[in-house]
Amino acid sequence: MPPQVQQVLDTLNAELPLEGYLVVGAIMFAIGAWGALIRRNAVVVFMCVELMINAVNLTLVAFADYLPGARGLGQSYAVLVIAIAAAEVAVGLAIVLAVFRSRRTVNVDEINSMKG
Amino acid sequence: MDTVGQQLIIAAIPGLPALVFFVLALFGRYIKEGAQYVAILGVTISLVFSGFALYFVATGEPIDFAVNWIDLGGGGAFPMGVYIDGLAAVMLVVVCFVSLMVQLYSGAFMEGDKRFAWYYAVINLFTASMLGLVLAPNFIELYFFWELVGLCSYLLIGHWFEKPSARDAAQKAFIVTRVGDAALFIAIIIFWAKTGTTSFQGISEAAQAGFIGGSLFTAAVVLVFVGAIGKSAQFPLHVWLPDAMEGPTPVSALIHAATMVAAGVYLVARTYDIFVQSETAMLTVAYIGGFTALMAATMALVKKDIKRVVAYSTVSQLGYMMLGLGVGAYSAGMFHLYNHAFFKALLFLCAGSIIYAMNSYNLVEMGGLRRRMPITFWTMVVAGISLAGIFPFSGFWSKDAIVASTFEEHYYVLFGMALLTVFLTAFYIFRAIFMAFMGEARTQGAREAVESPGIMTGPMLILAVLSVVSGLVGTPVADYFADFVRPSEFAVETLGVEPHEFSIPLAVVSVAVAILGIGLAYALYARQPERAAALARRFSGLHTFLDKGWYFDALYGATFVRGARALGRLVREFDRTALGGLVGGVGRGALGTGGFLQRLQTGGAQNYALFILLSVLIIGVIVGAQYAFLVVAIIALITIAAFAVGSRL
Amino acid sequence: MIVAFAFLAGMTLVSAMGVVISRNVVHSALFMSGSFLGVAGFFVMLNAPALAAFQVLIYVGAVTVVILFGIMFTQKPQVRRFRTILNAQRWAGFFVAAGVGAFLAFILSIQNWGATSSGNGTRGVAAFARNLLGVTQGSEIFTLLFEVASVLLLVAVVAAIVVSRRKTGEGVDRGVEE
Repeated sequence: MPPQVQQVLDTLNAELPLEGYLVVGAIMFAIGAWGALIRRNAVVVFMCVELMINAVNLTLVAFADYLPGARGLGQSYAVLVIAIAAAEVAVGLAIVLAVFRSRRTVNVDEINSMKG
Repeated sequence: MDTVGQQLIIAAIPGLPALVFFVLALFGRYIKEGAQYVAILGVTISLVFSGFALYFVATGEPIDFAVNWIDLGGGGAFPMGVYIDGLAAVMLVVVCFVSLMVQLYSGAFMEGDKRFAWYYAVINLFTASMLGLVLAPNFIELYFFWELVGLCSYLLIGHWFEKPSARDAAQKAFIVTRVGDAALFIAIIIFWAKTGTTSFQGISEAAQAGFIGGSLFTAAVVLVFVGAIGKSAQFPLHVWLPDAMEGPTPVSALIHAATMVAAGVYLVARTYDIFVQSETAMLTVAYIGGFTALMAATMALVKKDIKRVVAYSTVSQLGYMMLGLGVGAYSAGMFHLYNHAFFKALLFLCAGSIIYAMNSYNLVEMGGLRRRMPITFWTMVVAGISLAGIFPFSGFWSKDAIVASTFEEHYYVLFGMALLTVFLTAFYIFRAIFMAFMGEARTQGAREAVESPGIMTGPMLILAVLSVVSGLVGTPVADYFADFVRPSEFAVETLGVEPHEFSIPLAVVSVAVAILGIGLAYALYARQPERAAALARRFSGLHTFLDKGWYFDALYGATFVRGARALGRLVREFDRTALGGLVGGVGRGALGTGGFLQRLQTGGAQNYALFILLSVLIIGVIVGAQYAFLVVAIIALITIAAFAVGSRL
Repeated sequence: MIVAFAFLAGMTLVSAMGVVISRNVVHSALFMSGSFLGVAGFFVMLNAPALAAFQVLIYVGAVTVVILFGIMFTQKPQVRRFRTILNAQRWAGFFVAAGVGAFLAFILSIQNWGATSSGNGTRGVAAFARNLLGVTQGSEIFTLLFEVASVLLLVAVVAAIVVSRRKTGEGVDRGVEE
């Protein structure tokens, strides 16, 4: 094997730094936050919240895998977060449906009776 | 004063009327007409206790006890206590007695008044304050009650506050006496600063020991006298007393004849040991007293309001008392105070009786009341004779003693002034009596006047008897009064006044002058009333000068009153614009901020989420702000976001 | 490793963007599930295969379906313009979110995490399960957490039913007779 190819292969096979996962998680969180602030459709806002939760999960598991002091508990936390997020989806969508039934709209902008 | 019981009795003397005040002030609305009985009961008991006090002092030592009110430790203490010697004991009895007479009289005079119970409440508060003033052994306690007395005077003058003239008169009285009060307070501070005590005895001894030096001492003593000038309506602070006649007549009888105005004289007498140490002060007292006596007598000559005549008479007689004290005739001055209380109160009550019967106070509208109101007529004549100082009525003994003292102490100018005042006094009081009671009734009201009810004439009769006999305790034959109420030995020594024999020539002179005055009044007003009017027209300039009170009111009005008003306007404008604007601005600012912030409450959950994220970002940046570049970058980001939020929301 | 990482990262992030800016709601849902799959792949790379399985089962399987149900019940037609789907905060939100993301990324990157290497976590399912149930030393709290999560799920089920039940007299769904 030529040394340059070996070099390239070596870099490709190198250990991934922890920060990589963390940055990806941060960006995913940011995208989810942006979407939650931007979109008018309540269901889409929901989906963006799910994105944020997943970013957090990713970060937790990354810590669990990389940090020796964490004793791998991050994965357990992640499982619990998944469970809670699932529960949240159920209740949240029930609320969205109830609101839709009474107002015939899921446009978040129009649900502003707390104005002023 | 060993036992607590005895101390309680003494404390009850001012305490009972004060208690009556509280009861009537709180429950007067429900008691209404019954207030007079409560009040009279209270003051009668006080009178009895004052009699006890008089007895104790007459047969034993002066009463003296005190408790520490404020104790500053090293800074000194301010005790509150009681000191009753002969002078105070006599004053206690006089005040209680006159108050009782006035309150009996008021039952009929103030009948049907809207604020009947409140009237009685304030009269009792006044009585309590005056009694407290008399009992005070030190300046602080005296000043406390001094102010209270002034307050009650204000409240009572303005009792009929629906009348604008009454309101103005009350304010005038309060403000003018305030000038005196301020001077008195400055004097108290000077004394306290220099001697460390405010008790009369303490200051006197300290002054003797030289704690307080010559001119400062004289200045302080003169300031004390200025306080007395204010309270006793002497020149130049006399302008409030005639206007104070706007109040109900019994009030004038009590406050502005017998008691409150006497407080100034009492103050000088009380602090006599201090006064005698300054010759300048004594001279000031004497000359101001004499001048006031003369000046007020001239002003009383031309007044048409019967109450105003008597008011100027009060000012004049107070001048006499000051004159007596100033020349060293302590007992004579206080004797005159004691006698004057009775006949002056009687004069006011008679005036009130006429006003009650005729609903008018104008002498021009009266006439011929002698037949219709005999009791009033005869009691007023008795009071007038006593005031004029005719032997053997009470006024003679005291007034003659003062006049004689001025002659014998070689104050000839003052003697001349005093004698002239005797003439004028007799003239004006009998002018008033003749105009009111002699001749034919000049108006319908005079034709229909009837004698006042018994509860009013009763006190008048009692006071008339007293006006005759009260002088008998102080005749040269057996001068009980001078033995009882005399200056301290220190004062006698310092003054160097020798007791004089009763001088018959001087007595004859003063009585003759008085009779001359009465005769002139008879000639002008009883015989040929038209001559009086003709004289008034011929000397119209002089007449107006006297009628306008020597233009003092105009003078004060143009200078002090206008100045004070201008200052008041200035302050009001400042308050309105600057301070008001400030306060209003705070309110407007709050409203504005609220309005601005209200726009952030859009009701949209995503907006709120945006704000939350923004805040988290800001907090994170602040917490982790170690890297200036990053901080700047993030702050720029936040600023742009904020603008975006502001413009888009 | 890096190739896999790059591919998964790209897939996750592109799908996330797709969720946010797609004009069709159903497309958003599908992009979301794509993002979930990416995260599942990350879990595999991070030596947590059981977790990856859970992720796929629950998120891609259940949550996506539930959301699709929600979309179905609240149907909206596809829109043509971005303005219709994005509200007034679009640029403000962009900057704030970008700021938050940059901040987080920065803070997490410069922090010194000490000697780290991959593979420090529990690699097998058995060890992971023991952690989760609070049996191993140091994870005792998870016993409680596990049970509480169960109760929470029960409560959520009941709540969802209660909130979304049709009260008498309310609007009728299309095609369903009352």
